[in-house]
Amino acid sequence: MATLELINLSKRYGKKVWGAKDVNLKVNEGEFIVLLGPSGCGKTTTLRMIAGLEEVTEGKVIIDGKDVTYLEPRKREVSMVFQSYAVWPHMTVYDNIAFPLKLRKMSPDEIDKLVKEVAEMVKIEELLKRFPSQLSGGQRQRVALARALAVKPKIFLMDEPLSNLDAKLRVKMRTELKAIHHKTGATTIFVTHDQSEAMSMADRIVIMKDGKIEQVGTPDDVYFFSANVFVAGFIGTPPTNFFKMNIIGENGELHLKNEYIDIKVNDKVRKALEKYNKDEIIVGIRPENLLITDNKDEAIFREKILVVEPQGSHQVIAVELGNQIVKIVTPAFPKYSADELINVTLDQERIMLFDIETEKRLEGI
Amino acid sequence: MTKTYSKRWIPYILIAPTIVYYIVFWLRPVISAVYYSFFDENNNVFTLNNYITIFKDEYFKQAVVNTAIFVIISVTLEFLVALGLALIINKKFKGANILLSIALIPMALPAVAVGAMWSSGFATYGWVNSLLYHLGLITADGKIVFLAGSDFQSLMLIILIDAWQVIPFMMVILLAGLQGLSKESIEAGYIFGGTKFTVLRKITLPMLKSSIQTALILRIISAIQVWLIIVMIYGYRRIPVLLEEVVFYEEQLLGFYRVALAYSVIVAVIVSMVSIIYLKVSGAFEKEEQ
Repeated sequence: MATLELINLSKRYGKKVWGAKDVNLKVNEGEFIVLLGPSGCGKTTTLRMIAGLEEVTEGKVIIDGKDVTYLEPRKREVSMVFQSYAVWPHMTVYDNIAFPLKLRKMSPDEIDKLVKEVAEMVKIEELLKRFPSQLSGGQRQRVALARALAVKPKIFLMDEPLSNLDAKLRVKMRTELKAIHHKTGATTIFVTHDQSEAMSMADRIVIMKDGKIEQVGTPDDVYFFSANVFVAGFIGTPPTNFFKMNIIGENGELHLKNEYIDIKVNDKVRKALEKYNKDEIIVGIRPENLLITDNKDEAIFREKILVVEPQGSHQVIAVELGNQIVKIVTPAFPKYSADELINVTLDQERIMLFDIETEKRLEGI
Repeated sequence: MTKTYSKRWIPYILIAPTIVYYIVFWLRPVISAVYYSFFDENNNVFTLNNYITIFKDEYFKQAVVNTAIFVIISVTLEFLVALGLALIINKKFKGANILLSIALIPMALPAVAVGAMWSSGFATYGWVNSLLYHLGLITADGKIVFLAGSDFQSLMLIILIDAWQVIPFMMVILLAGLQGLSKESIEAGYIFGGTKFTVLRKITLPMLKSSIQTALILRIISAIQVWLIIVMIYGYRRIPVLLEEVVFYEEQLLGFYRVALAYSVIVAVIVSMVSIIYLKVSGAFEKEEQ
């Protein structure tokens, strides 16, 4: 268990391409941090720099107050679970777990005890004598996990460890990983591009794009208080609906308006807009905050349903405004069908407003 | 019914041309070579004389010893250098591809050309001495008489020349193997406490085992059959080796064609035995973790 600090951590490939740029992050003891972002956003590069597998161009990696930026991986006391599991094919499961311990010059008795202990924790006691080629993907993943646990590292690094598993197993392993983290309390950095994985496991999520951190926050923070358009669009399925709108004052009322939508804002939104002195603004509304209503007067727009996507627990309704598809999440009942005309309103408490130029979220809302 | 019946024969029909080819151009000559090696050249009566001639030949023992020395030293040397080169080129640093292309040049040359090149190089007035002189490493009077060394030195010189040509071949096999290894498995080695040397010894090389086996067995077989380079540089019977003796009997002497056949059979038996022993020892016959 340890703390981790990244200071202006940067990685440059060749002369111009930045794999990661000025990454600053403080990780507390025992925290479960998820690095989340689309492919090529620098999350894996950042993780590999923490591990020591990637040379750092600029900046520092500090583990437990000690600068390890230029230390060999083996001296950093971290362990890692790889996407491809990276178990050693020429060793039995037992040896895979025991090998790192042997390198640490532990006695055979200690090693044996530890191997059995972690094997039990990840439920692979029966597989210890097998070779990796005799195991399924899920079992190999458990071996990789056991190997990482056995060395009792200061920091756990996980590089998309679940992405090669099938959907059902992935969800199951998620729960198990979280339980193991709860039990061991080890500081963990977990890389993924799967937002639901990130949301369900993380203490805090670090959202990255183009090598830079866009936002750091708890799952609720990044969902409800997205720092900018990218984060609001990246987190949540179906994604947030964005509208470019004009701010128009009419008869003492303030409206957010475009060709199709007219929102008469409430006091809270009006207050937030007071400090904003541009005419145009980006409005973000999550699909579950668009509500279908019978009351024509409170509707912000009225449109025919394009398609209905039933999901069992809820339905996703798509309508077309101009050439933009807008998605609405509604409860499972009442049922709707295509071509039905609906009135749509919104929950203004959850509206998100972004600066038209900087795309940053307006404060106070 | 008829459909499944005809389907069953399709694999055999497809493989038939290859089998016919092998029987006509490989199996038949091999069988006749073995057959005639037991018959007298002049009167075609069954005899062991062809073999007895070989075993009585004083050059035979020398050939076996020289070949053994050649195989052991050259294969070890070539393997180590090839592995080193493969590991370096696999680092994918700037210019690795250029280095790879340069390293492959010797492989493209036929043994005759290599022999000619180095025999002119190592002649007393050859280009190696000339190069050393121009580099200021030797004086005009201090030319090294490369080709006049003892038998052992001569053999070492041959090993060096042969290594020059063969290393790229081994390197390519090992490099291909290295590139097929899981990068993450090796990185895991570093993360979990391995030094560069430990990771190489305990993780990279064991994972590379099948490529190493391929490279070594191919090389051992071709090393046992070395002859052309030796003849190109030293001529016949200066440093006798097995295959050189076969060629000597076949080409240089009249009326010893069937002795040459017998010699080929002996070489073939030796090659097979060495290969089987090697494969046994290296564990290639073990079923790999099923």
